[in-house]
Amino acid sequence: MTNRPQQEDWDSLMHAALDGDAPAYARFLRAVTPVLRGVVLSRGRNEFGQAGCEDILQEVLLAIHLKRQTWRREDPIRPWLYAIARHKVIDAFRARGRHIALPVEDFAEVLAAPPDEDPLEARDRDKMLGLLDGRSADILRAIGVAGESVAETAARLGMSDGAVRVALHRGLKRLAELRERYLE
Amino acid sequence: MKTEDLIAALAADTRPGPAPWPGVVQALMLSLPLSLVAMLAILGLRADPAAALQPLVALKTLLPLGLGALALAVALRQVRPSAPVRALARLLWAGPVVLGLAALWVLATTPPASWAMQFTGKGVLVCLVSIPSLAILPLAGLLWALRRGAALDPAGAGFAAGLAAGAFAAALYSAYCMEDSPLFYGTWYTLGVLTVAALGAVLGRRVLRF
Repeated sequence: MTNRPQQEDWDSLMHAALDGDAPAYARFLRAVTPVLRGVVLSRGRNEFGQAGCEDILQEVLLAIHLKRQTWRREDPIRPWLYAIARHKVIDAFRARGRHIALPVEDFAEVLAAPPDEDPLEARDRDKMLGLLDGRSADILRAIGVAGESVAETAARLGMSDGAVRVALHRGLKRLAELRERYLE
Repeated sequence: MKTEDLIAALAADTRPGPAPWPGVVQALMLSLPLSLVAMLAILGLRADPAAALQPLVALKTLLPLGLGALALAVALRQVRPSAPVRALARLLWAGPVVLGLAALWVLATTPPASWAMQFTGKGVLVCLVSIPSLAILPLAGLLWALRRGAALDPAGAGFAAGLAAGAFAAALYSAYCMEDSPLFYGTWYTLGVLTVAALGAVLGRRVLRF
């Protein structure tokens, strides 16, 4: 059974994203997220619950983000995306003590899942944010949670745009590392 | 942080990190000259460089160079998810095949009494120490550069990096080494290079994980 939502052209969105088009990149991430969530839930709902699965999903998104330079523009995006996501999902389950089989075809066939409506489970993830150094956490919160732009954050903190971008990038990298370590 | 918030933060981080391959070039341009200098300073060139022009002697330099380049291409594909890597990796078997043929040629054209001498030569230990030593820096550089990539099989990517570093080191070492029989270099160079590849696999497992 397939229940594909109207799919925007992921390839051209990622193209634009690599050229620095932030809105296109956000659209790309929003488009792939329900598919990835569906895959994670299909394997981990019973054991880790919605919240645990959402954590795993975020790890997968971080990995895709931090490794997106390994996608070559002349290649189709899906095989790349599914390969990296599959690796990361299996890795995240293994880090939680569970070995799963995950054929790559499942990504194309999964039921896309909307976000969980219950916002209560965000506590754990905020704890992770608290492990970052103050400035990085600040910037991540401002841009992610409060929806500030890079320029607004820069003005508020008295930093240059470039410095905010660098701090944001470091913060995301650190966040990915912390999640890994937190589980070990 | 909700997933939607994370997406907003990810989208604002618009500049992707550097790709692996320019780093690989940099790493080799820095490390190989250093290995070359170390090799010239500690070992020096062979006394009769002209001998290296004979085909079976040139092979001990050219084959590692070719295999090194091939292993490098394999390593770069190993860190690019969805890149086809198997067919290219299989070409690496050309190395042992060519060495095997060269050894058969030697067995067919030289007297059996000389085989043992050709096989053990005089420099097995120097060879087995030198090749891994000359490969350390290039291997470290390659692993550093490959960390920018996404290795779905970290040990395999590390193995390929070790193969490349070891093969380049063997090519350097061949400019010193006077043992020109395929029975010698086909055995001991291969062993030296495989040692580096194994080291690369062990290190890769740790440092190329993501």
